Amino acid sequence: MSSESPSVRVTRRMKGTLRSALLPVWNVLCMLLAPLDRALQPIANVYNRTLGGHFGEMNGLQFAVISLGFAAIATVPFWSPFYSETLNITFAVASIWAIFAMSWDIQSGYTGYISFGHSVLSGAAGYTIGLLILHYDPSMGPATTIPVAVLASLVLGLVIAVPSLRLRGPYFSLITLVGVLLFTNLIFAFSGWTNGELGIHQVDPFTYEPWVRYYYMAIPMLLVALGLIYISRSNVGMVLVTIRENERAVSSAGLDPTKFKISSFVLSSIPMGIGGALLVYYGRAINPTSFVEISNSIEIIAIAVIGGMGSVVGPLFGSFLFFFLEEEFLRDVIGDSSLRTLVLWLFVLSVLVFARNGVFRVIWHGLGAVRGDSE
Amino acid sequence: MLSGLPAVLINAALISALYALIAIGFTMIFGVGGVLNLAHGALLMAGAYVYLLLARDTISVPVFESMTLHPLLAFPLAVVIVAVLSYLLYAVIVQFVEDNPVVTFLATIVVALAATEVVLHYAGSATHTYTLIPDGMLPSTIDIGPVDGILTVDVVGFVVSWISIGLLWVYVTKTDSGRAIRATSMTERGAQLTGVNVHAVRARTWLVAGALAGIGGVFLGASTSATPNMWLHPLSLAFIIVVIGGIGSIKGSIVAAYLIGFLQTGVGEYLGQNFRGILSLVLLVIVLFVLPQGLFGREFDHE
Amino acid sequence: MSTLAGCVPGGGGGGGDAEGPITIGHLAPLQNPLGVGSKRTANMAVDQISENGGIMDEEVDVIHADTEGNPGTAESEAERLVIEEEVDVMVGTFVSEVTQAIMDFVAQEGVPLIVTGSAAPSTVTEFIGDDYDQYKNFFRTGPINSNFQAEAMVNYVNHLNELHGWDSFALLADDAAWCQPFVDTLPGALDEEGYDLALNQSLNINIDDFSPVINDVVESDADAVIRFFAHINASPFLVERAQRELTFGIEGIHVTGMHPAYAQLTEGAATYETTSQSGGGGTTDITEETLPFVEAYRERFADSDPPVGHPMYMGFNTYDAINVYKEAVERGGTWDYANDLDGIVEAMLETDHTGVAGQIQLYGQDAEYPHDAMETRDDEGTISNFPITQWQPQGALECVYPEQHATAEHMEPTW
Repeated sequence: MSSESPSVRVTRRMKGTLRSALLPVWNVLCMLLAPLDRALQPIANVYNRTLGGHFGEMNGLQFAVISLGFAAIATVPFWSPFYSETLNITFAVASIWAIFAMSWDIQSGYTGYISFGHSVLSGAAGYTIGLLILHYDPSMGPATTIPVAVLASLVLGLVIAVPSLRLRGPYFSLITLVGVLLFTNLIFAFSGWTNGELGIHQVDPFTYEPWVRYYYMAIPMLLVALGLIYISRSNVGMVLVTIRENERAVSSAGLDPTKFKISSFVLSSIPMGIGGALLVYYGRAINPTSFVEISNSIEIIAIAVIGGMGSVVGPLFGSFLFFFLEEEFLRDVIGDSSLRTLVLWLFVLSVLVFARNGVFRVIWHGLGAVRGDSE
Repeated sequence: MLSGLPAVLINAALISALYALIAIGFTMIFGVGGVLNLAHGALLMAGAYVYLLLARDTISVPVFESMTLHPLLAFPLAVVIVAVLSYLLYAVIVQFVEDNPVVTFLATIVVALAATEVVLHYAGSATHTYTLIPDGMLPSTIDIGPVDGILTVDVVGFVVSWISIGLLWVYVTKTDSGRAIRATSMTERGAQLTGVNVHAVRARTWLVAGALAGIGGVFLGASTSATPNMWLHPLSLAFIIVVIGGIGSIKGSIVAAYLIGFLQTGVGEYLGQNFRGILSLVLLVIVLFVLPQGLFGREFDHE
Repeated sequence: MSTLAGCVPGGGGGGGDAEGPITIGHLAPLQNPLGVGSKRTANMAVDQISENGGIMDEEVDVIHADTEGNPGTAESEAERLVIEEEVDVMVGTFVSEVTQAIMDFVAQEGVPLIVTGSAAPSTVTEFIGDDYDQYKNFFRTGPINSNFQAEAMVNYVNHLNELHGWDSFALLADDAAWCQPFVDTLPGALDEEGYDLALNQSLNINIDDFSPVINDVVESDADAVIRFFAHINASPFLVERAQRELTFGIEGIHVTGMHPAYAQLTEGAATYETTSQSGGGGTTDITEETLPFVEAYRERFADSDPPVGHPMYMGFNTYDAINVYKEAVERGGTWDYANDLDGIVEAMLETDHTGVAGQIQLYGQDAEYPHDAMETRDDEGTISNFPITQWQPQGALECVYPEQHATAEHMEPTW
């Protein structure tokens, strides 16, 4: 006896019918792409032999897409002006949020414990830098402030993680939500130090020069991506995924799930701190709205979700997709800012409902299935 | 200070009823489907704005011609509309994702954010206030015992909340369809085995919860105001109350609502506005660590 | 750094546009009636200028950007305006946190910024006041900063005392930077005048329950509340006050209350509340330009969404700012900020413009508030470009202060 409603069953049947109707289209696509895949496979195999064990194996098409993707990211300032003047800037911001989304993913996407509080971690880093510059020593450079900021983020991550990860699912999420509200309240309570809603603007950004600024953001982002992908593919990553699928199995295997959950949170705090610091040196004034408020956390989650939770790379591309839509594409189509944001949220909703594994993952699996079982 | 005490107590008692109403809708959905409906606050917001649309002509939307209905007509109409919206939320989105709690969680909050944009687009970021009770019907303030100057709308909200809670209680204890809801929230598999159509129960729960949210929203908007961001605070309040009271327990929600209501009003009055929110959050954290199943509930463990 | 702009892929910042058309970037919270009013008057100003041959025979246009009242959004909108739209000047911004968030970037690019909505003195003292050369692109043509407003407020309180004998007051303010001067100076000033400050509270800008505040006011037995709310919307406060039929006066500044249909929106609860607003809400001729401007606005937007009666204070200031800029460009002969910012600055500082919000002059480099709007003083030295309006019964809006602009006498609340 199924507890599914008739409409769910009908929709499922419709999806099946749609799938079989599109099958010929898919077969044609496979026919066209398979040779390409085969041709690229040797190059992919070189990668598979060397780095595949650490970062995951790929077939020819997947390798091509990834390489093109990373190449595109690495060369944004060179090709972006052909699209628009501001794409550079949009992608610089997207890089920072990619760091946030990937950090969130390694914790929430992998363990299944959804954190709403990640903006607190980047906020801690941001405010640490701001407070240091404003009250301690205005001449401090990023070489000094950034490590301290990341440390602050790490410590705060521990403070949040240790008590709350003993709790299950939604309770953990609730605690993280509470964390955001508390932190925001604290910023206003100590407005003598933090300057309340006005925030701290005294930190000099790296540069305002768009292409240099882009690399300041994108290079750390790529390094973070490599680091997190490596970890996600390691044994640690496997344990985290198992926690999401079946936590009891982890403990019956003799491992302490809580220890791993806490590690994932702490692990994710470090790049959150890096991202928060980068956001400050990008030039964002440090104030509660841009750094801490709950909307920031939700945006991070939305980005990870549309990219594909639990894959690290998914959130990376998710961020570029999200910001491209928000700042470039939708702007050209819709003038009104609230309509634009509405369409963006509806897009996220559709991904959640129709492709809950994320856009990137759907494409990835599609590419992987081109040659099917025939070989 | 002490001379203010009766006023504080009365105001706390009045507002807690509204909190209870808001929390009950949230806990019912949580209890029956294991779904954290983070769009619950948005439904409250819908209640306030739909009422505004019906009873005032300050907001203009396409297709719908501005009207100014009498509150006695606009209020039930608004409640029905919000109940339908809640049902649609379930039927169009949630029922397709409810097998995955995380996705549902995220989907409902995205719905809430989308709702904010809709409100922003049609009503702007300005705050809208409205009086629920026209001057002719009832005096605008009432004297209760030693305290005068209690707002009538708060008292009416209190009365309506309790009537609604009472009706709900009768529904879930005396009627078959209501009892099915209660059964499903206790054990879904067990309910299925006794022939309950779980899907229909869920749909009904969303409808009822929506109605409660509609009522709560209209009164919330009347006593504070209607703004595009008004949903976050009552949502967090509902969440806190439900956790403290216990998942799926209506009784728990009521008790916890009064606890929080008195705590917040008392703290706001004697320690200042800034601490109002903080103390409730602290209480929540304490309860979560000491008594995770809440006062009256079972621990979150949905089969 | 901008010299590298042309040499690297992707280019650099805007660098402005030495050849026409002259583009004005307007930043405001466009989902707020205040921002809507400002957008409309910006369009009005530009249309008028275009009809009269543009600026130095060049076409003029305006591009609107929505800050959403959010500093982060405002920052990216400002970048977009400078880099993509290549604006020659920026006008607007409402809340001080938005103004201050975009300040560094705009100063770095050297684009002239004329603020028309935010009043915090720190916007001047912490930026241009601290490092003139870095921030000399900044100007504020209105409103007068809150330090001056505080001073004017004290004079107004004296006026109320003369009229009604009020001598005990409750001070309520946004817990925000623009209110700092009020919170710092008013208590002492009121004390000096012999008044009693019975209550003094800074309210969290996210406040939603005003009952405790009202109870405190009632308990303090103050004759009137002097409140400063720009972030806070005090409509629930007024509604509860009306329902409880409380008779303390409501004075000070309340941005939401400047909405032309506010008395109607609150179903009469706003009656007797007063607020200061640039331009006087279209009730009186602050200058000979004021009423014709309000008439033109009403005519043009009679059938539009609110605000319909008048554009609210920022709209008056934005209209003036654009005209001030036009005159400065014509005076100095240039709008090319990349190459001759000093020329623009010099021309701007010579401003002596009869605007719709008042007579506009700017402080010079060595003043306490460089490039800030000068307060207008009458013969007795009292600040006079601080008009105060009151909602009087039947939804009528009257100017009640200063005497030379007043259209009616201030009324004491009764029910």
